[in-house]
Amino acid sequence: MLKIKDLTYSYSQGATALIDISMGLPREHILAILGRSGSGKTTLLKCIGRFLTLQKGDITLDGESIYKMERKKLRHLIGIVFQQLYLFPHLTILENMCLAPVKVLKRNESSAKKEAKEMLNKLGIKNLADRYPSQISGGQAQRAAIARALIMKPQYLLLDEPTSALDLNTSKELGEWLLELKAETTFVVVTHDVLFTKNIANSGFLLSEGKLKTKGNMKHIVDILGLGDYQR
Amino acid sequence: MNISFLKSKTIILVVFFLVTACFLVQAEEKDIFTVALTGKYPPFSFYSQEGKLVGFDVDVADKIADYLDHELKIVTTEWDGILAGLLAKKYDAIVGSMAITPQRKKSVDFSLPYYESGAQLFIHKKDKGEFTNIKDLKGQSVGVGIGETYQHYLEDNYPEINVVTYKSTVDIFQDMLNRRIKGFVTDRLVGFYQIKKADTPFMATGRLLYRERIAIPILKERKALLAKINNALIAMKKKGELTEINKKWFGQESKSNRKEKKMKTAIIAEKLLQGFGITLFVAFSSIIMGFLLSIPFGVILNKRKIYPLYLVVRTFNDFIRGTPLLIQLFFIYFGAPQVGIMLTPISAAIFTLTVNASAYMAEVIRSGLMSVDPGQKLAGKALGLTNFSIFRFIVWPQAFRIALPPLMNAVVALMKDTALIAMISVGEVIRQAQSIISVTYNPMKYYFIAAIMFFIVTFPLMKIAGRIERKIKKKGFANA
Ligand SMILES: Nc1ncnc2c1ncn2[C@@H]1O[C@H](COP(=O)(O)OP(=O)(O)OP(=O)(O)O)[C@@H](O)[C@H]1O
Ligand SMILES: [Mg+2]
Repeated sequence: MLKIKDLTYSYSQGATALIDISMGLPREHILAILGRSGSGKTTLLKCIGRFLTLQKGDITLDGESIYKMERKKLRHLIGIVFQQLYLFPHLTILENMCLAPVKVLKRNESSAKKEAKEMLNKLGIKNLADRYPSQISGGQAQRAAIARALIMKPQYLLLDEPTSALDLNTSKELGEWLLELKAETTFVVVTHDVLFTKNIANSGFLLSEGKLKTKGNMKHIVDILGLGDYQR
Repeated sequence: MNISFLKSKTIILVVFFLVTACFLVQAEEKDIFTVALTGKYPPFSFYSQEGKLVGFDVDVADKIADYLDHELKIVTTEWDGILAGLLAKKYDAIVGSMAITPQRKKSVDFSLPYYESGAQLFIHKKDKGEFTNIKDLKGQSVGVGIGETYQHYLEDNYPEINVVTYKSTVDIFQDMLNRRIKGFVTDRLVGFYQIKKADTPFMATGRLLYRERIAIPILKERKALLAKINNALIAMKKKGELTEINKKWFGQESKSNRKEKKMKTAIIAEKLLQGFGITLFVAFSSIIMGFLLSIPFGVILNKRKIYPLYLVVRTFNDFIRGTPLLIQLFFIYFGAPQVGIMLTPISAAIFTLTVNASAYMAEVIRSGLMSVDPGQKLAGKALGLTNFSIFRFIVWPQAFRIALPPLMNAVVALMKDTALIAMISVGEVIRQAQSIISVTYNPMKYYFIAAIMFFIVTFPLMKIAGRIERKIKKKGFANA
């Protein structure tokens, strides 16, 4: 279980972005962290990804603080796909996927390639293998970035606004796609898109102005929110 | 798309070897008598049609070395830096037709004079009746060799004359023919010899402006060497060896020397190619070493975090880019020996150009690094890559591709800058051209050939730069 305890974070110039957040993220397939723009979702995700230095509180995984964890171990357990994806533009999708297995896990190049191809096959995007990021669509890029993170086989994969660049149909397809993959990895979807998470998430957390407002199953969250308010 | 030249570590290794080798070669041996002269002052020192350094001064130096029982080593250097070179201990003595003056005596000792001559005014034959002596040239331009005593003499005694300084007689003659100057003052003997040899319509006019005694300057602290050289000169005078040398160069010359105007094409080609080889060697070793240095510099410049280090590199880079390369060259070449580092002309040139290249390339690399989205680093971190791997496999390849076209331009600029190293006596292509011109009197032709040689190398580089630029634009990944 990924646990967040009494987390407070403020940026050096600006208001406090997270105030006293405590929550537990069980290994439970798909979780949603919801909230309006500016409510602190990305900040929370960056804290879980150890991209920010905590000022107060702690984040633990199975009792071990992720801030004291060894680099390789942490990145093996928790993966992140940023809102802007940051695919490496000078590498093909296949090469994007192989970089970490080869350089971090020290796997040899051909076996990494083989595995990456198998994964692309399984994800149904094997036609993207030899394309460069500039040569694929937004939805394909989203999947490619998820594939690049999944090849490290993380227990948790954090996705920041995965639907922000997608049209309704494409986000629906992405949701179905995540459902197929959820057995091996817990997806933590950070978004303001309630509609997208409504049908796929098991439970959700609602942030408001840096505070955890409520948590529960998706029905509970949707009941509180209503769909309209949070729709795009 | 792989940029294979970067990856071929062998080339880099080879260059390192060669450069190390030329640093080692300079180790001085004991029994060598090193003498400097310009090699551009016929008939005292110049290159013969076989491309050999010959002349009155060369023969005198040779004889003195015999008397000293030392092996003679001749260094050719520009006249305006020749005394500085002696003071920097680059050679033991100058046997280069230097006149004794009180000014020079302040910094060096002079041997006994080995010949006497004097300053003579020469004019164009067309002006025969018009200028009968130096006073008639008031308000006119008169040429002299830069740093020669004639320059100071004219400036002190005839302030109304516009004194124009030249690097060599060839240039003076060219401007006489172009009528840019109305007369020139030089050594009487040299003047007659050269006018005859170059077959130019110039003539002497008026009396000698003053007499000059020509001797050998030596460092003041080397009294023993001075005594030995004086003894050698006395012996040479007694035995008639000096007179013999004098006869050889000023006796019944004309007939055999006429041919010197023509240099064998094969020799010219060899000299130019050899010079160009040196140009390429110096250029590419400095480019490769400068590039390797520019990577850490560029990284530091892009990271203000490590502030003191940033400040040092920033200031150093600005200084290098904000001062003339020529001054940097002189500073290193003449300055290094004063702090006990003996640099050969080639190593001084490579050193200076390397530093220069690294400064310019570091700026290019900095801006390349800056244009890589910081998110790329985040993504690398999220995948568990180390900082080094993030730089090496994610940031650097993108920055390098963006930086490549401006880097190519820096390479082209550096190629051209090697022309300046002729000034510290590196025998590269410009200097070879100059020495050919001092015999053939055809500046247009040989400077043009040298220019073409440069262009043959720089043109493809510019084309490649353009092609890469278009390719990158097409891919458009930099802004993706
Ligand atoms: N680098 C930063 N420096 C200062 N303040 C920041 C920084 N990043 C975010 N903030 C502020 O912190 C608060 C939370 O921002 P955060 O990006 O976490 O919101 P969000 O919920 O992800 O919003 P969105 O849905 O628009 O992505 C906002 O008020 C924002 O202005
Ligand atoms: Mg956000």
